[in-house]
Formats: sequence, C-alpha cells, structure tokens
Amino acid sequence: MKLTSIKFCNFRSFYGQTPEIAIAGGEFQNTTIIHGNNGAGKTSLLNGFTWVLYEKFTAAFAVTEQLVNKRAISEVGEDQAVECWVEVGWEHEGVRYRAKRNCRVYKNPTTIDATKTKLTIQIVGDDGKWYFPIEQPEEIINNILPVSLHQYFFFDGERIEEIVRSDKKAEIAEATEIFLGVKVIDLATKHLKEAKKTLDSELAAIGDAETKQLLKHQSKLEREISKISQRQTEIAEDLESQQVFKKDISARLVELSSVRDLQERRESLENQKRKNYDELKKTKESLKKAISKQAYTLLLSETTVKFRDIIVTFKQRGQLKSGISREFVSELMKSGRCICGAELKEGGNGHFHVKSLLRKTGSSSVEETAIRMGAQIDDLEKQAQLFLEMINREQQRIYQLKTSLSDIEMNLDSIEEILRKDPNEDISGLQKRLDEIEARIDDLNREQGSNEKEISHLNTEIDLVVKQIAKQKQNEGRQILAQRRIIATQDAIDILTEVKNRQEKQFRLQLEKRVQEIFSEISVTPYIPKISEKYELTLVENTTGIEAAVAASTGENQILSLSFIASIIDKVREWSEKKKIMMVPDSSTFPIVMDSPFGSLDANSRRHIAQTIPKLANQLVVLVTKTQWREEVESEIMQRIGKEYVLTYYSSKPNCEEDFLQIGREKYYLTCQSPNGFEYSEIVEVERN
Amino acid sequence: MNRELEAQESKIQDVQAPITAASPEVKQIIEKVCRLEKSRLARKSKGAVNEDILAIIKEAVK
Repeated sequence: MKLTSIKFCNFRSFYGQTPEIAIAGGEFQNTTIIHGNNGAGKTSLLNGFTWVLYEKFTAAFAVTEQLVNKRAISEVGEDQAVECWVEVGWEHEGVRYRAKRNCRVYKNPTTIDATKTKLTIQIVGDDGKWYFPIEQPEEIINNILPVSLHQYFFFDGERIEEIVRSDKKAEIAEATEIFLGVKVIDLATKHLKEAKKTLDSELAAIGDAETKQLLKHQSKLEREISKISQRQTEIAEDLESQQVFKKDISARLVELSSVRDLQERRESLENQKRKNYDELKKTKESLKKAISKQAYTLLLSETTVKFRDIIVTFKQRGQLKSGISREFVSELMKSGRCICGAELKEGGNGHFHVKSLLRKTGSSSVEETAIRMGAQIDDLEKQAQLFLEMINREQQRIYQLKTSLSDIEMNLDSIEEILRKDPNEDISGLQKRLDEIEARIDDLNREQGSNEKEISHLNTEIDLVVKQIAKQKQNEGRQILAQRRIIATQDAIDILTEVKNRQEKQFRLQLEKRVQEIFSEISVTPYIPKISEKYELTLVENTTGIEAAVAASTGENQILSLSFIASIIDKVREWSEKKKIMMVPDSSTFPIVMDSPFGSLDANSRRHIAQTIPKLANQLVVLVTKTQWREEVESEIMQRIGKEYVLTYYSSKPNCEEDFLQIGREKYYLTCQSPNGFEYSEIVEVERN
Repeated sequence: MNRELEAQESKIQDVQAPITAASPEVKQIIEKVCRLEKSRLARKSKGAVNEDILAIIKEAVK
C-alpha cells in the first residue's frame, strides 16, 4: 500500500473542504512532514487515515463522537444536515484506489444526531475511469492491510511503546503470525483437518465393500446351475436310453407272434395318443390367444346399449340432422353473401332468415362422428358373436380330444393288462419291464420339469446379484475417490505443518535477527530483542551470562516497538516477493504514518530513529510539533522530504500569541488569531527552494 | 554480501520447498485453501468454511 493523498471535509478542526494533501512516494524522497502545534489537528490527521480505512481511532484521539467541525454545525439551521468526510487515496500493485468515509450530523434543538458512517471505494479501471468495484470496501482494505495490523503503521509515536507492553504480548504475537503467514497456515491446517473428518465420515457412509461376498454368492449360484444342468443332461440321456429300451422291448413283443397284433395295435394307439396330445396342446393355445385378444368384446354389451340410447336421444332432440350443416350456414354469414348471391347484412331480412336456419341445422362433424362410431359398434358386436362361436368350437374340439384320449388310454390299459397276464412268461415279463421303463420315464420327466424351474429361479437370483455387484462397483469407485481425497488432504496438512516448521526456523529467526540489528543501531543499551516460539517479543539482557528479561524504560520500549515495525516492513517486503501464497498482508510496500514521534527519546536515539525509519519504511508521514522537529531530526530527514505542510491553527482566543515557522525566507504560521470567532485549522503546503 | 543474499534467498525457497515438491493435486489444495484463509482473514463475517474447503479438495481430486 502506497498512500497518495488525504483530503478532509468538516472533519474535526478542518472546516469545509481542505486542499488535498499529497503524500510523498518517491524512492528516496519518501517522507512527508506535517508541522503543527498542539491542537492544530495532527492527531486528527492521523485519525483521518484510520477512520476512513478501519473506522478506528488512536488512544489519544479525544471525544470520538465529535467528529464534525463545530463551525460547520453552527452555520446550519435546525434539522439541517452537515456532511463530514475524509478521502484517502493509495496505490496497490499498480491499481489506484480512493476510499471515502462519510457521515452526517443533524442539528436538533437540543441534540446533534450523527448517522452511521458509510465507506465507499473507487478504483481506476483499465480505461482510466473511476468505478466502484464489486467487492466489499472493508474486504478490499483488509486484503491490502488487515485491520489487526493497522496499529503498526498508523500510530501515535508518544505511545508506540504500548504495542510491546506485557499485556499486549498476545496481540503482537498474533500480528507477527499474520505477517509471517503462520496464521494462514494454522487456519488452513485446522480447517483441512475438519474437512478430512467430513471426508472420513463420507467414506464410512459409502459402506463396506460387499462386492467379494456378492461375487462369492454369484459363483455359488452358478455352480448350482451347472450342477443341475449336468443332471439335466444325464436325465436327457437316461430318457433317451429308456426310450431305446422301450422301443427294443416293443420290437421284441412284435416279434412274439402270439401278441404281435396286440403290440401293433398298442403302437398305433400310442401314435394316436401322441397326436391327440399334440392336438390338444395346440387347441388350448389357440383358445388362450383368442381369449386374450377378443374376450373383451363380450364385456361391451352394456356400453353399446348406452351408446345407442344416446344416439336415439340426439336424434329425438333434432341434434343429429342430415341436410345443410351448421358449419356451412356459419360460413355464409361470415362471408356476408348467400348462395343465391344476395347480400347478408346484419339487421337485414336475408341475414335474419339465414341466421334462423342455424337453429335448425346440426353440426356435420358431430353427425360424422356418430356415424363412424355406430359402424365401429356394429363391428364390435359382430366380433363378439364370432368369438363366442369360435370358443364353442374349440371347447368342443377339446372335449372330443379328451374323450378320444380317454378311450385310447382305456384301450392301452386293457392291452397292457392282457400282456401282463399273459401265461407266456416272456410276454408278461416284457410287459412288466415296459411298465418299469414307463415309470422311470415318468420320474425322469418330473425331475426334468422341476430342474428347469429351479434353473430359471437361480437365473433370476443371479440377475439380481449381478445388479447388486454393479451397484457395489460404482460404490467402490466412490470409495477409491474418497480415499484419494483423504490422502491428498492429509498430504496437504503434512506439507503445511512442514512449511510451518521451516518457517519457524527461517522466518522467525531472520526477523529476530533483523529486530536485533535495528535495535542495536538505535539504542545505546546492551539489551537484545527476542522473538519467542510463540512469537512474543521481549527484551532481554545477557550481561551476567544468564539471559534475563529487562524492565525497559518507556524510551527503550519505544525503540523496541519502532525496531519491530521497521524489521517487519523490511522482512515482509523481502519475503512476500517469493512467498505470495501465505503472506498476509498481500503487500510488499508499507507506509508509516506517525504522530509526535521521538517524544520520550534522547537526542541520540532521535537521531538514529530519524536515520533508520525513512530508510526502512517505503513511505513515511511524520506529524511534528516545532519542538519535535529539532536539529538532529531535521538534519537527518531533510534530504528525504518529498512533501511538507503546515497546519495553521486559527485560535478563537482573544489576543492569542502567534507562532510561526521560518522556512527559507517564508513565514508559515502555526498559530494565529481567528478572523471570525471560530477555531479551525488550515493546511498550507511548504515550498522549499 | 552477495553470497549472504543468495544464502537467504535459498533459505526462503527452502521454506516453500515442500509445496513446490507436492503433487499437482496437493499443491492446488494448499494454494486454494491458503488463498481462502487469507481472504477470510480480511472478511468481517466469516461464515462456515468447511463446505468451501471440501469443494476445493473435491475440485482438486476428481
């Protein structure tokens, strides 16, 4: 952040709009000096920056509720508003920003009410025009220089030792952590751990891999099928051989001349039996088909009766008429001309007659539909009749076949009975053998049927398992992904922890070293600043060979504070170039705005600070009284001044003592008499030749 | 002096070395999460962060 300007309107001692104070931003001449006596508005100027950017004030800023210039308030009438604002300009990474915070006060008979303040930010676009960015103004500022760090850059020099006070240890430790990026790493690690927990529970929710179990079940079912199929093959073979036996025995019976006729008769009956069974099967199937296709026609009788009733009612009401259709008459009226050529004008005689025709005509489309549906109903009735006839025929056929089969079986039974009882043992033996074969074939057929059913059942079960496996495999994919995410998260946590460890070793020690260097440059004491592992800043001494904390004076603590700020600026600038990921703030340039510095310091320390600070800060704004701007300070900073201003205080006190600065041949008033009875300050730029 | 500077530079890079050496997925997670944490530090109302972090991880590891 490189400050470029600040401008006030009715803010504290500044009446109306002030001229813009340009802030020096040169490489070498990076210092802006603002002179002012007590009460002239130096602290207001410092707080102008913190109010706009953070809505914060320094401890020395009294009566924060009285922000608005008293003269401006006194000049407006009751219920009128006074506008008060401060505008700060800066550059950051090549972009120009302008932030303005304003508030209004309303003057009531007894009170002065202030509105809430409002912050707006504008930035310069590529086209050079100012526009309002979409991000929240506070967020923009905090990204550049976080509120928690602002006190290290905008401060009251007389109280700067407060940042290293023992009760502020935690605050400065946190600020250092933020500066070094440790805070970001800590937060990232903490939140990644939380995210990992969520990922763990997500993985658990996907469920244990049941695929193996399912696959096992699938192969078990497949084994069962293969076993049954094997048995089916055996049955088929057995059946075939039983048929061969049967044929063989039958052939032997034919060979026996005494029963040849019987045997031939039996074979013929068996042929008939087979044919009849085939026929019966076919007839039953065709009956099934006919029922599923046409049986509904028998259930429509009630509906067809209703339909005919409706048509009769329509006809009785005259709604179904043949002859001229309603559509035709409507068309004539629309065209305005009759078929005879006469004009059909609304209100005319012809029009009246043709219109009255409408009441007598029916719709041609209704009539057409009625005719078409009538034909369909007739057809349905015919179909129902045909269906009934067909059913009767097929059932009769079934009855015939069954009777015939029963006759055949009776005949076969009696033949078998004769053969069984034949006195010739060869014959009765062969018949018994045939009976056995028949019984065997019957058993095998039954087993075959039940096996087929079992196979079909197992196949259904396999289909189900296969589907479950597919689903499980999908889950497996999700599990693998979840595991990869968990591993990556853990890796990220481990790496960040490692980076934090390295940072701990490198950055903390480097920063500590830099603070020590700067402190020893400024201070005459042998004290050594230390930054603990918890990032706490302390001052120790080592004269006895044992490190011990120092009860430092205000002056020493001021030097320590300034050394800390200067080293932070120095180091963060160096690191942030290479370490963009974690560094907060997102910046490598920092301004220092300090009010009344050097207050409690001796001449030597003042000289050293005046030497050091402009060198280390990218930009320096110093607000000084005449006494603070003494020889050693002036001579050290002089070469670095880029801009210089005087705050002229107009006192309302009668006969107040005038005070001025002599710069070159010019006199710049620090205090003078108010010409209008109000106290206020003006900003005057110093021109040094 | 130059040597000292070089040594310092290598130390700074050394701090980041674990990130540089990480797999692209892990690197992406670290960079995005750190950026998120930085912007959260700048935000007034912080809100829940877990969903955002999970989204970063899930985006990086697909």
